[in-house]
Amino acid sequence: MRSNHETFEFRARFSDLHEGLDILHDSIERLREATGRAQEDRSLMLFETALGEIGGNVLTHGRPPGTERPIEYVLSLEGRTLVASLTDSGTSVHEHLSREMPGHDHEAGRGLAMARALLDELGYERHGDINRWRLVKRL
Amino acid sequence: MLDAAKMTLEVETRPAPNGVTIVAPVGRLDVAGAPALKEAISQLTGNGPPKVVLDMEGVSFVDSTGLGSVIAALKQIRGSQGELRLAAPNQQARVVLELTTLDRVFPYYATVEEALTGF
Repeated sequence: MRSNHETFEFRARFSDLHEGLDILHDSIERLREATGRAQEDRSLMLFETALGEIGGNVLTHGRPPGTERPIEYVLSLEGRTLVASLTDSGTSVHEHLSREMPGHDHEAGRGLAMARALLDELGYERHGDINRWRLVKRL
Repeated sequence: MLDAAKMTLEVETRPAPNGVTIVAPVGRLDVAGAPALKEAISQLTGNGPPKVVLDMEGVSFVDSTGLGSVIAALKQIRGSQGELRLAAPNQQARVVLELTTLDRVFPYYATVEEALTGF
């Protein structure tokens, strides 16, 4: 039986799309190794899928031209609750948060709807000119 | 140090019997890798309607942008009266297809061999 008292924390700052995506996926692999979870762990796979969606959005839209501030990322596991936070300098995305899954012929616009469905909580807050995302899943 | 080789999606294209082309991406089919698949599909040439098997065995992760590139491929191929079949998606890719209900648009095959049968 898996312990309910696992802890893990990973922090990173990044600006480049490819580097950022690699770091996000690498952090999940580190968590998997640190907690002895299997490659096919479904809850972790669902979380990683949501993280890829929000992380991809943040990396492509969260650094407008001229932005020097990097994306800040924290992944933490406390007990069985896995939380990722991402902070970016993009424009407000309030109007996109409730976007529904588009029709089959649409090539874009599924990311937020997917993340909402995959997570227990998807939090978003606007603080000044900063976006803060919080992804929560109980493993 | 991060491995630069895993940063991009590599796409191999190879012929199969009966005029079928197998397109085999390797890596993450995500917001960074999707352009490589679009480029590979746009370069498909041949006589008659294209018949394409997208071999997903080497794809470790799919996001919504990667999925969008598959939808774009389907539109392009069907626009030429061709057909696209998906083969060997991993568990994560199947979850993404089912979550978005695109599994109704892309019926997938367990293996490339199954996808080639009767194509």
